[in-house]
Parts: sequence; structure tokens; C-alpha cells
Amino acid sequence: MSASEQMENISKAVDQWLKPDNTMLKEAIDQTVDEGLFSLEDIKFQILHLKKSINKGSLLKWVEKSGFNKLANKPKRIVCLHAGNLPLVGIQDVLAVLLSGHNYFGKLSKKDPYLLESFLAECQKLGLLQKIRWTTELRDFEDTNADAVLFTGSGESVENVNEIIENLQIAKPDASQLIRTAHFSIAYITDHKPETFRSLTEAVFRYGGTGCRSVAIVVAPFHLDSEKCEFTDYVESFWLKNPQNQNPEPSLFHHFAYNKATGVSQSWLDDFLIEESRLIDIDKFILHWVKGGWAELEELVRQFEKEIQSVYSTSETPLQAGGKFLTENLSIAQKPPIWWRPDGVDTLQWIQQNL
Amino acid sequence: MDFADWREIIFDASVPFEERFLKVYWHQARHNRVLQTFFDVFGLKPESNPLPAEIPHLPVRAFREKIMMTGGFEPDLCFKSSGTGKTKRSRHCVADPELYRLSVQKEFSGYFTFNEYSILAYLPGYTDNPKSSLIWMVNELIKSDKSRLSRFLPLNKPLTQKDFEPILKEEKKILLFGAAFGLVDLLESDSGALPQGSAIIETGGMKTHRREIGKSRLRKMLAEGFEVPETNIHSEYGMCELLSQCYAIGNEWFKTPHWMNVSIRKADNPSVECGAGEEGKIAIIDLANVHSCAFILTEDKGMMNSSGEFQVLGRWKNSDLRGCNFLVERE
Repeated sequence: MSASEQMENISKAVDQWLKPDNTMLKEAIDQTVDEGLFSLEDIKFQILHLKKSINKGSLLKWVEKSGFNKLANKPKRIVCLHAGNLPLVGIQDVLAVLLSGHNYFGKLSKKDPYLLESFLAECQKLGLLQKIRWTTELRDFEDTNADAVLFTGSGESVENVNEIIENLQIAKPDASQLIRTAHFSIAYITDHKPETFRSLTEAVFRYGGTGCRSVAIVVAPFHLDSEKCEFTDYVESFWLKNPQNQNPEPSLFHHFAYNKATGVSQSWLDDFLIEESRLIDIDKFILHWVKGGWAELEELVRQFEKEIQSVYSTSETPLQAGGKFLTENLSIAQKPPIWWRPDGVDTLQWIQQNL
Repeated sequence: MDFADWREIIFDASVPFEERFLKVYWHQARHNRVLQTFFDVFGLKPESNPLPAEIPHLPVRAFREKIMMTGGFEPDLCFKSSGTGKTKRSRHCVADPELYRLSVQKEFSGYFTFNEYSILAYLPGYTDNPKSSLIWMVNELIKSDKSRLSRFLPLNKPLTQKDFEPILKEEKKILLFGAAFGLVDLLESDSGALPQGSAIIETGGMKTHRREIGKSRLRKMLAEGFEVPETNIHSEYGMCELLSQCYAIGNEWFKTPHWMNVSIRKADNPSVECGAGEEGKIAIIDLANVHSCAFILTEDKGMMNSSGEFQVLGRWKNSDLRGCNFLVERE
């Protein structure tokens, strides 16, 4: 099979999978919502985005961008350890492996076990996957001796995961590893236009702020206090349409109490906290507001370089931020193109270069 | 109440801890605006009568953002934590140095006497911080050795027989008090065995050090390298933000002085105490902090046993490297 035919088939699988009458996808969505894993609104948002962004044209563009030219002659085994912080977050890795022509072994997250499975089942129907090679139990891949591992997760878990992979011989000792651990993004805004605040709200609050592309720090030319009433109106309006699925732990209330005691400017939203503090400690359900300009943004980018996934601005043209990052438009924070580069690495290109 | 009155209250073991705790709570809830506001968010008023288990602990980073003082005083002794250039350092201003002195000496003397031991202190990484509370504390201990044999060791020099001779001549034992990784460095610089009967107190680590090592492994290394039985390897747990210290004698379990209360709190809900054997954040009530802030939630990970002793298991998550006790992972 040629690379072009492979692309055609993948595109077909995506189309079939996203058809409104796909009962398996519908059941997967229902089960995911019933078990409280994600909200229906977040799943719908993601599926709609995938529908718009994955097609033969976009796959071709990805292939061209990555310099990929032909399918693997001797397919090798790639184990993908998918994250589960937002619905279908692992789909890009699945597509990269399928496009490359290698063999996919997927460890699905227990936080998102049904949605990706419904896509994999569709791929299997079309012969893109020969066997069922996905599971939520890493142990099922014992003695797989894979040639490569794609891993997305928290920095703290890397050591533990490596130990399991080694002990269970899931991958060969010299297997290539692509480990992605960046876990939040920064936004730089220069105005308080409605469109800017709407985009910022989506970038911060979609998926409860749990995505690595979600904004955890915003740099703005004004203090939180001067804008918080206006901004929180956008947040409330967003939550009316997209209720937050997860509630923060009580420790967030302690954080609020601490801020109040030490005079930190903040906005307490019950399920989220916005604060303007000099000490930035990235945590779930907290948006850090920093008054500043480009210089402050660059300083933050340097400070958190290894943890940052993306830097956004309202500019249409990408800007160089802190040496390593090219800014993306804030409006696409939660709608990345299929060829986007997690942790700055093009997964398809990486597979081609390492296998 | 003046400083002397407070010393009497805090160190009076005949009064139950809960009573002394309430006096300090009332004082701080009235005279410390940060704590008053913090307690108020949780519904605690200055006239409330909480139990120690009910008190919300202020996150330790408050010492980096505010000068934590209760009541008005002009401090002439201020400590700063060690820290990297980028990290803001904690500041702890001490209203009553005599109270700190008493706290240091009372707990230390519960385990060691200068009739038996003299201290050789090796604290690289702290000596270049003139505001180090650890240096002040060890200096106080050294000064209280009437034999004048206790002293700081010069840095970057291996221990030799010459270092021990004056102490041995007086028929005393060596108590090597050192920063954990400084002690490892001593071993690597060809310091040999310590004389028989010697003991070691290790404290935490050094933030700038290139290695990370678990407590158990560290204890083994020190025991083998210095040829000291593990039962003579002790640990001290303290920090710039506390005027009291805890010691773990011959093992990894720390005991608290009678004017201190340590609990392990759930990281996702610090209002709740962890059960024995469950890991959480170390929360401390240190009555010796009566003039600053006595209720502190640290960023250290800990675990309590059923006897009320606790272990320090490193830092909770990615908090800043602050100074003492940051061994990253238990092995």
C-alpha cells in the first residue's frame, strides 16, 4: 500500500467514525458522560473540532510538513501511552503511527477509555489495524518488546512508567522514546476587546483547564482588579453553556484563604481561582494573571520553558517568544491543527527519524 | 504578657499542650493580621476555642511574601532561608532570641549532653549564608559546650585524626553534625572512620548539590563510610521558618518537642489529617513561633506512624528548593 492510499484509508476511517449514525461512537460518548469522565459539551466540542480538522487535505499537509515520504518497509512496534486529561487527546499519536505504516499498540487512559477505542474499532474495520492491540492495562503489553514508546504524561510519572516498561519488557532496552511532559500554556494579550476575552475564556476554561494547551498564565497590560468584573462575565457565560465537569479539591479554598490573608488580588469563582500573585505555582484550577508586556512574557517563558506547551498571542502573525517558542493565535488554543507539535516535536517526523 | 512570660508558658510541660496552644492561638488571632484574616475565612474568630487538629495551617510560603510578626517588636535577629538567585527567600524575624536559644537547647539536650559529646559541625552551603538559622543554631550549641572543644570544621578538608584528638583526650565522643550532602562530600574526600562511640546528626541536604539520594541510602552510606552503627546515625528536621527542631534518633522517625505538634495533612484538603502510614504534607504547630506564626503547612512530604512519630519523605511536588530536608524520593 502506498502512503497516499494509507492516507485515503485513514481519512475514510475518520469520516466513518464521525458519521452521525455511528452507534459505537454514540455509545462511547454516552458511557463517558455517564461515568462522569468528561462533560457532553467538552466531548462535542472536541469531536466537532476533529471533524473540521482531520481530512485527506490536512493529513497530506501534515505529511508534507514532516517530510514524510514513504510507509515503513518493515513495520515496527510502537507502544503509545495515551494521556486522558481531555477527550481523545491521544488521537494525534494514533494517526501518526498509522500514517507511518508501523504497528500500533495503544495503552488507553482509564480516564478516557471509550472514545479512542471507538475510533480504533473503525480503523480495524477498514483493515488499518490487523489485530486488537489496545488496552487500558499496561501489563497486557508484557513482552511486547516494542521498538518505540510514545508517552504523554506528567513529569513525575516518567520514572515510574520507565520502570514498568523495563520490568515488563514492554519495549526493547534500546527502544526510542518520545516523552512529552509540557503541561500548560501562556497567553499574551494586549487589549480587552470582547473577542480577546472570549478567546481567553475558551483557552483557560475549556476542559476545566486540564489540557496542556490550556492557558494557566496570562500576561496582560492591566491588573486583574481592573478587569475582573468584565472578564468573569465571559467566564460565567462560558460556564452556562459548558458546565465544568470536574470540581476542584478543597485545597483550592485554602489557596483562596491564603491569598486573602496575604493581600493577593484574586477572583474566587468557586470552581476556579484567578490570582495576581508574584509567586507563580502552577496548579489545577488556577489562572495566574500577570500585569506586564512582552518583556514579562519572555521572562516567564524562560522561567517555565520546560513546562510550557504553547505561547499564544492575539497577533495573527507568529512572534518569537523567549527564543524557543513561536506564538500561536489565542483563538486556536483548543483547536490545534492536526500537525501541531506537542512539546515542539512533530510526532510523524520523529517516528520517521527514529525507526 | 512580656517575652519572659511567653517563655514560661511555652516550655511548661506540666500544662497540657492544648492549653498552651490556645493561648498562642488567641494571641496570634488577635495580633497577627495575616493569621486573623486567614482564620476568619475558615470561620475562626480570635475568641474561638479550636482544637489543635482543627486549626488551619498557613502555607509556609507566607514567610517569603510577608514578614510574619505577631505584635509589634523591633527584631534584631532575622534569618533568611538559603535559596537560588531566582527563588525568593523566606525571612523569619525573631522577636525573642532567648526563646529560640531555649528551644534549641532544650530539645538537643534531651538526646545529647556536652559531658559526653563535643560537636564537629560541617555545614557547607549554609556557611555562605550569614542569615542562616541553622548556622546560628549550631553556633549556639557549640557555645554551650563548656569544654570549648566543639567547633565548626573548615570546608573542603577531609576529617583527620587531628580533628578528633582534643576531644578524645578529654574522654569525650565525637558528634559530627552536618548537612547531609556535606557529609557525603567528606566521605568522598577520604575522611576515614570516626572514632568508636561517635554519632552523626545529618540535617536535610543542600539545594545546590548535584545529587539526590534517599534517606535510607544516605544512612547506609554514612554508617559504612564513617564506620558508625546505624543506631548512631541521627537526623534533625528544622527550617528557617521554625524556632524548634525535631530529632530522629537512630532511625528515620522524628519525635517532636512537647511544645510542638506535627500532623500530616491531605494535600488536596489540608483540613483533613492523614491516617497512619498515609503520605501527605507536613503541618506544624510550633509554639516557639509565638511571635511570628505558629501554624505552618510545609511543602514537605511526610508520613506518621501510629506512635505519633513522623518521617520526612522529601518535597511535595515541584516546590522550590528551599534549604533543609529536600531528599527527593524515598528508596
